[in-house]
Amino acid sequence: MSDERWLHALGQELARHRLAPEVTHHVVAEAAAHLRDSGQPALRAFGTPQGYAAAVAESLASQHRPHRRPPGRVRLRASQITKRYGRRTVLKPTDLTVHAGEVAAIVGANGCGKSTFLRICAGLLSPDSGEVVVDGVLGYCPQDGGTYDFLLPEEHFVLVGAGRGLDRARSRRLGRAGAATLQWEAGDGVQARHLSGGTRQKLNLVMAALGEPDVLLLDEPYQGFDRGTYLDFWQHVWRWRDEGRAIVVVTHLLNQLDQVDQVLDLTPATREVAA
Amino acid sequence: MKLLTVAEMALRELSRRRGVLLLLLALPLVCYLARRDHLGQSIRFLLLGLAWAVSTSALFASGTSRRIEPRLRLSGYRSHHLYLGRLVAMWVLGLAVAAPFFALVALDRGGEVRLGALAAAMVLAVTVAAPFGLLIGAAVPRELEGTLILLVTISLQMMIDPADSITRVTPFWSSREIGTYAVDHTGSEYLTRGLLHGVLFTVLATALVAVLSTIRLRSRPHLRYAQR
Repeated sequence: MSDERWLHALGQELARHRLAPEVTHHVVAEAAAHLRDSGQPALRAFGTPQGYAAAVAESLASQHRPHRRPPGRVRLRASQITKRYGRRTVLKPTDLTVHAGEVAAIVGANGCGKSTFLRICAGLLSPDSGEVVVDGVLGYCPQDGGTYDFLLPEEHFVLVGAGRGLDRARSRRLGRAGAATLQWEAGDGVQARHLSGGTRQKLNLVMAALGEPDVLLLDEPYQGFDRGTYLDFWQHVWRWRDEGRAIVVVTHLLNQLDQVDQVLDLTPATREVAA
Repeated sequence: MKLLTVAEMALRELSRRRGVLLLLLALPLVCYLARRDHLGQSIRFLLLGLAWAVSTSALFASGTSRRIEPRLRLSGYRSHHLYLGRLVAMWVLGLAVAAPFFALVALDRGGEVRLGALAAAMVLAVTVAAPFGLLIGAAVPRELEGTLILLVTISLQMMIDPADSITRVTPFWSSREIGTYAVDHTGSEYLTRGLLHGVLFTVLATALVAVLSTIRLRSRPHLRYAQR
């Protein structure tokens, strides 16, 4: 990789980390100056653009967390949710409250009930006890499935949009716009069955967010995403949070947890909500 | 509008399954040609083949949608939008499949058959088959079990003695009766009871689909929406 391409890639990665344009410009210029002075190839001097950008972003983030407006009213309140399958207890009494403008992450080992809890919050599954109160419109992104193999992405947008009361043109426009922000061209007439796993998940995610629901429940929506799209996904999450939506993300990837507002750990030994 | 969108998307999805469409046409055709030497049998088998094809399509359409419908409910659809939309799609598909076979019989044996009654029998076969397939799909979540139930039903319908009174509880007895009226030029009582049976069975099957779908896609009582 030439130094020019490396610097270009660095700029893109820094932007994905939501660094301000002037900061991005400054970091790239400094890196370019260092390369000029040292005569070293960029890869040897800094490593990969992705790694260097992540390190820079982390360093800057630890220096000054951006000030955010205080969270709004409660959008989702799950109280004392329990669930058993036969003799196996999947969820012991579990609470979660998410305000407008907050992101909650649900983490835990495989089989600890993350998806079950989210499906209960969405009203797709009944708990054995407890209740969920939602203030606003729900959007739900399943872990997989959720699409028709033989329909085009735009037809999925029309289908979901009609449910939300949107006309066809608006549904298509919003869907395409949402896809574009995930680096995906959704208007190219490919049936869902021919999409890669990652692109199908992008379709799932765009469908969930169509019509701007107040509460977004996302069940590991980034499966199959490449690294760049994964970062773009989190940019989406931050943007939705800034717009005042309440977001719950089931995840097993822990590297974003320091940026979410609360973490609900469903691992049996460590049941807690960390704010 | 929502109902029609569901119907449209179900039809779009089915129309892209070219292999399925070919088989949908092949099934009644084989049934017809297999007994072409015997007019009555060929027409009755054609009607049964048509009903079989449509109910199988409805069964699989039901299975395909099972995982997606919960998210559509969350997206603002009511249960009846979903099952009625799919039912409309299956009726349209069934009539599209039936039309060339009506033309085939009209050309092949038009002089020997009451064509108006044959058209009614075909429409009734499609009308009954669509909710019947959806009903099996709603009652049995796995497609293999559903397919076997359908196979048993059709086999029973084929093998059972027509004089046996139990035939009246089989789903496609109506089109058989009207088929007999069309082919054997029997009295109008065959037409009347066939129509009555078909309409009643369609209403009953649709009502059961409605009940099962509404239960499956119901709003769970633990989830409340705050008053705004």
